[in-house]
Amino acid sequence: MPDIHFSNIEKIILTLSTLACLGSFVYEVWRRIRIVLRGQGSLPFDKIGARIWRVINEVLFHKKVMGQRFWPGLMHGLVFWGFLVFGLITIDHFATGFGAPLFSKSFHHFYSYFGIPFAMLALIGIVSLVYRRFITQPVHLGKLSPTSGLVAVFIVVLMVTYIIGEMDISPLTWKINWWLHSAMILAFLWLIPRSKHLHLVLAPINIFFRPFTQPEHTLVEIDLEASEEDLDNMLASMTQMTMNQVLDVFSCVECGRCTEVCPANRGGGVLDPKNHFILDLRQPLLESGSVDVLAQLNIEAGWECTTCQACTEVCPVGNHVEKSDEIRRSEVLIEGKVPQEYQKLFTNLQETGNTEGASNSPLAESLPMYSSDMEYVLWLGCFARYGLDPDFENSVRSFTKILDVANVSYGILENEHCSGDPPNRLGDKLTYSMLREYNTELLSEVKKVVTLCPHCAINLEREYAKYGNVNYTVEHHTQVIERLITEGKIKVEKGENGKVTFHDPCNLSRMLNELDAPRMAITSVTSDFMELEESGRQTLCCGAGGGLWWKKETQGRTHLVRAEQVVKSGADTVVTGCNFCYGMMKQGLGPLTPDGRSEISVKDIADIVAENMVSNK
Amino acid sequence: MKICVLVKQVPGSEAQFSVSPDGSWIQETGLPFEMNESDNYALEEALQIREQMGDSEVVIVSLGPDRCQKVIREALAKGADRAIHIKEDSPYETDPYSIATALANTIKDEKFELVLSGLQSDDLGFGQTGVILGEILGMTTATLVVETEIQDGKIKVKRELESGWFQWQTMDLPASLAIQSGLNQPRYPSLKGIMGAKKKEIKESSFAEMCDIDGLQAFNGLSVQRAEKQTEMIEGTVDQVVNKLVDVFKNEIRIN
Repeated sequence: MPDIHFSNIEKIILTLSTLACLGSFVYEVWRRIRIVLRGQGSLPFDKIGARIWRVINEVLFHKKVMGQRFWPGLMHGLVFWGFLVFGLITIDHFATGFGAPLFSKSFHHFYSYFGIPFAMLALIGIVSLVYRRFITQPVHLGKLSPTSGLVAVFIVVLMVTYIIGEMDISPLTWKINWWLHSAMILAFLWLIPRSKHLHLVLAPINIFFRPFTQPEHTLVEIDLEASEEDLDNMLASMTQMTMNQVLDVFSCVECGRCTEVCPANRGGGVLDPKNHFILDLRQPLLESGSVDVLAQLNIEAGWECTTCQACTEVCPVGNHVEKSDEIRRSEVLIEGKVPQEYQKLFTNLQETGNTEGASNSPLAESLPMYSSDMEYVLWLGCFARYGLDPDFENSVRSFTKILDVANVSYGILENEHCSGDPPNRLGDKLTYSMLREYNTELLSEVKKVVTLCPHCAINLEREYAKYGNVNYTVEHHTQVIERLITEGKIKVEKGENGKVTFHDPCNLSRMLNELDAPRMAITSVTSDFMELEESGRQTLCCGAGGGLWWKKETQGRTHLVRAEQVVKSGADTVVTGCNFCYGMMKQGLGPLTPDGRSEISVKDIADIVAENMVSNK
Repeated sequence: MKICVLVKQVPGSEAQFSVSPDGSWIQETGLPFEMNESDNYALEEALQIREQMGDSEVVIVSLGPDRCQKVIREALAKGADRAIHIKEDSPYETDPYSIATALANTIKDEKFELVLSGLQSDDLGFGQTGVILGEILGMTTATLVVETEIQDGKIKVKRELESGWFQWQTMDLPASLAIQSGLNQPRYPSLKGIMGAKKKEIKESSFAEMCDIDGLQAFNGLSVQRAEKQTEMIEGTVDQVVNKLVDVFKNEIRIN
């Protein structure tokens, strides 16, 4: 680096342009932050340690960025890590312009040993990303984005001018190069808040504030005795966004990962979470400056959602993407516009407390009744109780057999009502509150509940707890089975089960975060276990979630996409841990199985464990 | 326009039925009840006509025991303006002529321009009430209506005939129409609707008061069809088996 002197005119130009661009940056960011602060509720600061760890993991280590798309994620990482190294260089760069460099000459030289390699890596990163965006053009990136091109040019010029600046060049060339580098930084500063590149600023903040559990929606507490004014206020609040939701919208980097994993979208539906749940809100928020914009969401898209949370799980900038709750609850409670099949479902629930409008359950009549000396309430759920897939009764019996062998006492509740999962997810918060209040009372003296239905498990415990105290614990049956195996209460052996795979139910994996118990149970009875392509928290929904089991006519193939994957996997048996997944798999696998191949058998965890119990043989 | 909608409460379609001990009717205890399906469509049609016409009133008329309050409230929550409940204190009313007479006496002074009813009730399924009521009150009547349109003080209806045929008919008002299920998309009661329904008027009268005639048909009893499976093994030589089979087909199953 030659000795350079900056004239006063240069310093004035530098000062003015820096102030202008920095001012514009601060103004545009502040404009958005102000809208965020108008949102409902507050930003959470609980569990600070876990939040910070999450930021380190997902921002510094790029866990989610590289998780779903490894190579593009790594290339993004090169640019990002390069930027981190460039933080100090940029400050020093401007300080030099004002005649007071931050670095001594020797330190500048020393730092360039990091700076130049990282600049090279960032160049490799950005050129690869440009190639991907403008040559390969993956469909999920959406329309070609001119600002992405502009940003790429900025970054390339920044890196190249930095490298040139470190070379042995004439003072004039150095100065031209210096100004070019400065112009790029200032232009970047101008562009960031006006584009998706605002994620540079907001993503870490957004990841910090992201809810720990999903789905997470504002509560709709309905008091039918409330005054008209209170009711109006409650309804008006339903279309308002929360602070966290507004922050999501401004943090979105438009990568389209959410749409890429969406089962409704993959099944040919209209739902495009990136636009329908996030970006459609950006202009209304900016133009109105108000957070009362949820009524603008696409309604058809909202009804297609399976509430599987794949979109939320995959988001690299920490968005809670799914908004079907917001869409549906407005349609149901404010507009009274509900698809006919769901009206039937809601009426059944109001009249009979079960989804089918049934008045008796042969399965329930054949099982022992709960009494207070028993360990568990066996919560059946409507699916098992009313035979939504008649074969699932066998799975219930497999589980009771396991409990019997292990000497665990259990009984069912004669007057069990639906846990409320379907109306809760479909937006009928009134019917949901009726069922919730009924079941809370029913379970008031109960300590432990076990259920085969993860939807019931989530609602009985976590969702009910959002409204009031819950004094019992709820376990999913796979958790109980795993414990019985580990404690030696049941003896199992590895049998001839063929090639076995496991389909993670969304409610068990993403929502209950239970990945190990089912795998431990399966691998203790089979030696030939294989994972599906999308598994664990990255699982693909069977298509029945969010009340869609009751959807009569589906135009898309949402309900078949997962079954197709299972067929392709080459497994002989697919095990699952959810009655809805069980039913969907059975419906899908039959017609999808190619000629000449025997149909893949569908089993619940309880089935495969019970079949391989030693005492059974 | 003043519109009357006849709404009946019927047992839920998925319910398991049993006959009451004296065989007079079904066992009602523990049975879920809901709005008769086609009545729900009739109600929606009335609400849509009110929305198009403006300055209209939709009045629900229901006949049945106290439990009917539930479907009346539901109809009010969906947007009907007020209701009349004819309380049935006698055993379950099964004669369409008596029912229509009670309804006619109840509404004759209201001067409704339009009476909409479901095509038939999902429990008894006579499909006559709307027509007889129309006749008693001197209205034009139509059944199996799948579309309505008010035109210059008259009503044009589309009727569903057999084998995909339809009939369009323009009728004078007042008219009584029996509505076929599926002609519209019935709404769901909104929260405001449910809250607002509490304040709406439900006028009560009794069947005995309103029905001044003797029934024309009586309902003697109810029984459940018994299904039996009989298996007979036919043995013998081929000729004997064939002859026996032919005999069974001809004389027992009566295949011609």
